[in-house]
Amino acid sequence: MNDNPQEPKLLEHDADGIRELDNLLPRWWVWLFYGCIAFAVGYLVYYHVLKAGPLQAAEYDTEWKAGEALKSAALAKFEATITTLTPSQDKAVLAQGQQIFLTYCAPCHRPDGGGLVGPNLCDDYWIHGSNYVDNLKVIINGVPDKGMLTWRGILKPSEVQAVASHIYTLRGTKPPNPKPREDQAPKPTGPSPFE
Amino acid sequence: MNTNLETFKYDNRIVRAFAIATVIWGLVGFSAGLLIACQLFWPDLNLNLQYTTFGRLRPLHTNAVIFAFVGNGMFMGIYYSLQRLCKARMFNDTLSWINFWGWQAIIVSAAVTLPLGLTTSKEYAELEWPIDIAIAVVWVVFAVNLFGTILKRREKHLYVAIWFYIATAITVAMLHIVNSLEIPATAFKSYSVYAGVQDALVQWWYAHNAVAFFLTTSYLGLMYYFLPKAAERPVFSYRLSIIHFWALIFIYIWAGPHHLLYTALPDWAQSLGMAFSVMLIAPSWGGMLNGLLTLRGAWNKVREEPMLKFMVVAVTAYGMATLEGPMLSVKSVNALSHYTDWTIAHVHTAALGWNGFLTFSVLYWLYPRLYNTKLYSVKLANWHFWLGLLGMMFYVIPMYWSGITQGLMWKQFTSDGFMQYPNFLETVLQLIPMYKLRAIGGTFYLVGAWIMAYNLYKTAKSGVFVTEVEVQAPSLKSQPEHPEEHHPWGHRWIESKPMVLTGFALVAVAIGGLVEFIPMWIIKENVPTIASVKPYTPLEVLGRDIYIREGCVGCHSQMIRPFRSETERYGEYSKAGEFVYDHPFLWGSKRTGPDLHRIGGKYPDAWHFNHMDDPRLVSPGSIMPRYPWLLSQKLETNSLPARIGALRKVGVPYPDGFEATAQLNLEAQQKKIVENLKQGAITNAPADREIIALVAYLQRLGTDIKVKPAAPAAPGAPAPAPAVPAAPKTAQLDTPNQTRN
Repeated sequence: MNDNPQEPKLLEHDADGIRELDNLLPRWWVWLFYGCIAFAVGYLVYYHVLKAGPLQAAEYDTEWKAGEALKSAALAKFEATITTLTPSQDKAVLAQGQQIFLTYCAPCHRPDGGGLVGPNLCDDYWIHGSNYVDNLKVIINGVPDKGMLTWRGILKPSEVQAVASHIYTLRGTKPPNPKPREDQAPKPTGPSPFE
Repeated sequence: MNTNLETFKYDNRIVRAFAIATVIWGLVGFSAGLLIACQLFWPDLNLNLQYTTFGRLRPLHTNAVIFAFVGNGMFMGIYYSLQRLCKARMFNDTLSWINFWGWQAIIVSAAVTLPLGLTTSKEYAELEWPIDIAIAVVWVVFAVNLFGTILKRREKHLYVAIWFYIATAITVAMLHIVNSLEIPATAFKSYSVYAGVQDALVQWWYAHNAVAFFLTTSYLGLMYYFLPKAAERPVFSYRLSIIHFWALIFIYIWAGPHHLLYTALPDWAQSLGMAFSVMLIAPSWGGMLNGLLTLRGAWNKVREEPMLKFMVVAVTAYGMATLEGPMLSVKSVNALSHYTDWTIAHVHTAALGWNGFLTFSVLYWLYPRLYNTKLYSVKLANWHFWLGLLGMMFYVIPMYWSGITQGLMWKQFTSDGFMQYPNFLETVLQLIPMYKLRAIGGTFYLVGAWIMAYNLYKTAKSGVFVTEVEVQAPSLKSQPEHPEEHHPWGHRWIESKPMVLTGFALVAVAIGGLVEFIPMWIIKENVPTIASVKPYTPLEVLGRDIYIREGCVGCHSQMIRPFRSETERYGEYSKAGEFVYDHPFLWGSKRTGPDLHRIGGKYPDAWHFNHMDDPRLVSPGSIMPRYPWLLSQKLETNSLPARIGALRKVGVPYPDGFEATAQLNLEAQQKKIVENLKQGAITNAPADREIIALVAYLQRLGTDIKVKPAAPAAPGAPAPAPAVPAAPKTAQLDTPNQTRN
């Protein structure tokens, strides 16, 4: 590109008094341009002609597998121990549990646990078992048929323990207008109008 | 020696009109920006009015700054410089004034319609179809005036500034018309002819190149005129002008897909967007170099002349933004930066620095000349300079901090492979101090602009307006034939042939779009179909239109990227085939709130009802505004048949005659939602309110791919022919149904 090795000359023309020099293109600028073009071509060839690198779906699969392996291991370890867990009395843990409850559980169970779409958590009637361990299992596995989400893999093991401990403290509180007990076997009412 | 001298007058009136409009709209645009910046840490600042929410005012801010402030600034600079560079008065005074008043009328109509919620939701193209037509007409008027002036010029060769003006005129017309193709449903509601992935590609081809050709090439043209004028130095390199002009306009067009990295856009298009963005660094820097190196030998003037100070910062900001842009287009960087405030920082480096400071620079230079006097106060101009610069720093540094903080928090996993910050709100609350600092920066910038307005006003008062400048020059025909000035690149020839130059420029700016669009249109594999994805029900259509009206897309994306950090948080990543009935697409570009693509079924209907009434009731600390009017306003259903009809025209396969049953279908779905709300202890919700439609839409979002293909039709629902919109998806509506890989 630099066909004129001499000093820059002032070109003859002017435009409303504006003159133009004809300096050579700065060397580093030219190489920057070439470098970027080389990178761009190399990138396109590498991914789309040679198909040598993973595209986004493949990249995701690799990432997902690695992450899930870690998580599954941690969960398996936790689930092996849940039968031995008891509700925590620790104030910090309970505060954390309350926070989690308000964020994730309150939309269905009400902030005070009195029940909305989900059942009342404050009375003595438990649909899926009243032991602390039963509570933990419901939180982890959910009850997909009834709309209770599985929190396996969303809440960390320590968070499951914290929120379950908080729920345990709700027992026996008497919030206003609680949802009526639902521990009985569902009556055969025929197909629901919403099905 | 020449006896063929012609006498003519430069029109300064039109330049002054645009200059005044530039200052006024600048103040309006900056104020709107400051207001919405404050709303992000003070959600009640919309005063509980639906017309002043962030969602509705954000497009008002962007439109005011881009099209009103910079648009008028561009016309001001072009109308001043073009006459002088062509040695000719503007082609036609009437056209000049149609350009001026037409543009102002468009701005005013934008300022009225956007707060009313009349919007297409396509970024920087939000204005609805009647205004789109007006924009096209006024722009053509401008182009005719531009080319008319060029054709009757008395200067054989077109100076580089004019090349950039030509590129601006033709490309903006192309972008605006192609992106705004839409079918009207009502007087102020239309649906984009493109859907989903294609709409996204066209929209970002448009938006990216609106930045390129509205905010960049036009202002590069202004730089090429006003910088050497003020510095009284020759331009650094003619050949650099040539190479960077052609490279810039050719390469820029291709780079649009860099706004859609790691989305459902096919990989090849993403890669093109990234590769061309990287190649854009040098052509962009060519402009910066030609600006800054022109100042060699004139740096003492920069110390004294406020105009040049502003110019130097503008050109430097241009250089920084055009290096950062390609960096953000590298996929691995974009994986972190996208949807965060990093993008906001980036665009404001360019908007406040490049466009803002360059406009101020031109204004400070023009006013004394228009009024044949001296600038009223250099000291005040210096105050403006430092306040503006400080304002920029206080704006962009907190936004970088905020963007990187939130990006890292979203992606942080514990060593056990769990999300460290699963609660989105936690990542938002981290940013509040940064949002406050940003508002301080914005205040500085605005105060600086007010000081400028005062200074310019006093300058005008102290002088006498020069309405016209009389000059003499020989006509082009009577000029003696000089031998063509020799230059090894042979570019002088094309500079004397405006139509040839225009033709080449048109080819250069058309190629990139065509290469990206045509395969997307004709190759089916680019958008693999998903059988279970069905058109929206009538109630969902109206709910979606409310979502569009409220500008939800300004803060919520609907595009889950293929990262584990996103699929863990939101659910399965978004697939191209899920958006085939989305006219327009609503992928969004910023996550001030969480992604909503898989929000359907995640919460009970009652949660949404309460959340829209007062977000802080269910999410303490949320910065989302309240939407109580959705609970009280009646859903407008009169236009439902027209909307269904318009959607069918753009390709949604509603069966013929569906308009007749749409209302019944809608009422049935309303009833179901009211029932669901009762389960959530909301017993008094009337079925005919807007909130019911919005809930219907939100609960539908992202649920179609979870429908098992073999699932039997819901009993009682009309037997779904392949093209019939799915019956209201009761199963998803009733039960929280969250699928996680």
